[in-house]
Amino acid sequence: MKLTKNLARIAPLVVAATLTATACDASGTDSTSSSDGRTVVKIALWNYKTTPEFKALIEGFEAENPGIDVQPVDILADNYPDKVTTMLAGGDTTDVLTMKNVTDYARYATRDQLLPLTEEAAGLDKASYSGLDDYDLDGKYYALPYRSDFWVLFYNKDMVGKEDLSGLTWDRYAELAKKFTKGSGSDKVYGTYLHTWRSVVQAISSAQTGGDQLGGDYSFFKDQYEMALGLQKAKATLPFSTASSNQITYDSQLTTGKAAMVPMGSWWAAALLAEKAQGKNDINWGMAPMPQVEKDGRTVTFGSPTAFAVNKKSRNADAAKKFVTWASGPQGAAAVAKIGVTPAYTSDKILDTFFSVDGMPADALSRRTMQPTTVQLEMPVSDKTSDIDQILKEEHEMVMSGEKSVDEGVKEMDKRVKDEVQ
Amino acid sequence: MSVDAPTATQHAPGGASAAHQAAAKRRRRRNLLVGWSFILPNFLGFAALTLVPVIGALAISFTHWDSYSTPKWAGLDNFQRLWDDSNFWAALRNTLYYAAGHIPLTLVVALGLAVLLNQKLRGVHVLRTAFFFPYITSLVAVAVVWNMLLSPESGPVNQFLTFLGVDHPPGWTSSQDWAMPALIVTSVWRDMGYYMVLFLAGLQTVPAELYEAARMDGAGAWQRFWHVTLPGLRPTTFFVTVMITVSSFKVFDLVQVMTEGGPGRSTLVLSQLIFREGITQGRFGYASAVSLVLFLICLVITVIQFRMQRRSER
Repeated sequence: MKLTKNLARIAPLVVAATLTATACDASGTDSTSSSDGRTVVKIALWNYKTTPEFKALIEGFEAENPGIDVQPVDILADNYPDKVTTMLAGGDTTDVLTMKNVTDYARYATRDQLLPLTEEAAGLDKASYSGLDDYDLDGKYYALPYRSDFWVLFYNKDMVGKEDLSGLTWDRYAELAKKFTKGSGSDKVYGTYLHTWRSVVQAISSAQTGGDQLGGDYSFFKDQYEMALGLQKAKATLPFSTASSNQITYDSQLTTGKAAMVPMGSWWAAALLAEKAQGKNDINWGMAPMPQVEKDGRTVTFGSPTAFAVNKKSRNADAAKKFVTWASGPQGAAAVAKIGVTPAYTSDKILDTFFSVDGMPADALSRRTMQPTTVQLEMPVSDKTSDIDQILKEEHEMVMSGEKSVDEGVKEMDKRVKDEVQ
Repeated sequence: MSVDAPTATQHAPGGASAAHQAAAKRRRRRNLLVGWSFILPNFLGFAALTLVPVIGALAISFTHWDSYSTPKWAGLDNFQRLWDDSNFWAALRNTLYYAAGHIPLTLVVALGLAVLLNQKLRGVHVLRTAFFFPYITSLVAVAVVWNMLLSPESGPVNQFLTFLGVDHPPGWTSSQDWAMPALIVTSVWRDMGYYMVLFLAGLQTVPAELYEAARMDGAGAWQRFWHVTLPGLRPTTFFVTVMITVSSFKVFDLVQVMTEGGPGRSTLVLSQLIFREGITQGRFGYASAVSLVLFLICLVITVIQFRMQRRSER
């Protein structure tokens, strides 16, 4: 009966310990104000240390709103969408959620996981905003964009030399890429680097030919694939297979002088500036408009806005709304432009701030790059977007790694989207 | 209090057996209680983390549910969709392919290593540790290292193949034909040490006299392995086979980190499809239907293995 006696002695201790632990835990999660009495707003974001805009926005907002303490909930960028989806499914109460892309936004909003921000959106001067319309869901808004990126051509000024990169067509771009390619083995320098994302081929093609990525007929991708595979065959770009197997980062290709030109989103400018300021790279870079299918004086590119939304289960919804409205407004825009991030709200003053950032290339071409004629949304929003995105991604990998010909790949995209999604 | 202490009733004629029976009954009941108290914490964990979710998944598989709004009754819709979904068939095919490569290879390699490292060799402990090491290494590190080894252009594997005169060595993880073999090789390399340890433990239980007798009868090394070691290892082999089989059908992490199911969907496995459909697409009903199929596959294979084991014991 020793066991019973011992259990009888231990049980109250265990119960007490459990209650204490539960009480501690409860006080931790229930806390909506900091120890100094400020209202706490938790915000889900990614790679806090290497994405300087979050710090700029949080510190800028806190300086103007001393009663509110904004606390980042840092998530790895690659895991961000899955993590937020899981958090929301589990009833997480993080107040502000960063909407990394419009597709995820549409999903959260249609699942009724976000608070409406229609009133706040109505107060914005729409003519000065880029990307606001992308958050319109049947006349209602559930997120407000604070930055709006579009794709441009980054280049290494020392490697490009005096070649004119303004008004490039894709044919001319391919010619230059071959021209800039030099060396062999470990000294090999590529004329360009095409990252492994499907958008590098497919979204460009869609934006510039008017093709519909949800349509189920993907013949409009063909020319762009021929161009990309041609560069690969000419060894003017790192092969797709090597880039995907070695999980190559686009940043390393430009900053270590391995590639002369890299098509990429405008968000990269801020990261390059930050790296330079920290002494991590010393690259002499510039920006040129995205090459075009035809040379007709227009610059058509694609992009995507990034926004903040308020979690429906937020415990500090008012303070959270205040942060979201501030970040997407002129003050938030000024805060991010100051570090080289392209804000959703723009004005001449904001553009001047953007180009006066230390290290930002302020040459005429770079300035012109920041004013494209048309910015198409990277991927149209629909309830079928994410299924189609997955199919297009899978077939893109097959075409770029040479497992399927362009014709076979496009045929498979058509077939699978029609059979499996539509 | 001691149960064996003599009591007054035990001295009374005719009452002895009744008292004995009562004491035995008390003892049995107490033993039962103690036994249950040992099992209970484990059983509670099993019930909360396995049994209830399995039953829950069964219920959810008959609904359309996005984990947030109220589930809608779907009847057999999700199972109907399974039949028509090419992703499901691709994932099932790939999972079977992976299992068909991973199970026998791991068994053979782990057993071979165990027999080899059961000898009295110099530095055998260091070797055992070295082979066990990959199993406790972070999976992401394993994936990164193997991706580098198998890199199509700069990887040492392909450089060696080129040196041997292979003109076009495979793209490994970027080739739909070679991605799965690359995953199988990597997973065998990672798992072999763990199963080797289990086999090593099994080898200690094979009586040395049997080997001596076999030797006296003139049996060679191969005959001793075939007629003494293998039969002696039967319980261990059975246990290891069940473990490898279940882990093969549940494979997720390595595939997710090394290939993400690609290129195309050539390495998409059932666990990944469940994750993608449930977490990413928010179709928990359909994901549950897929998980139920995976559960049934594991159950059927394990039952078959148990039956075969029982038959071989007879």
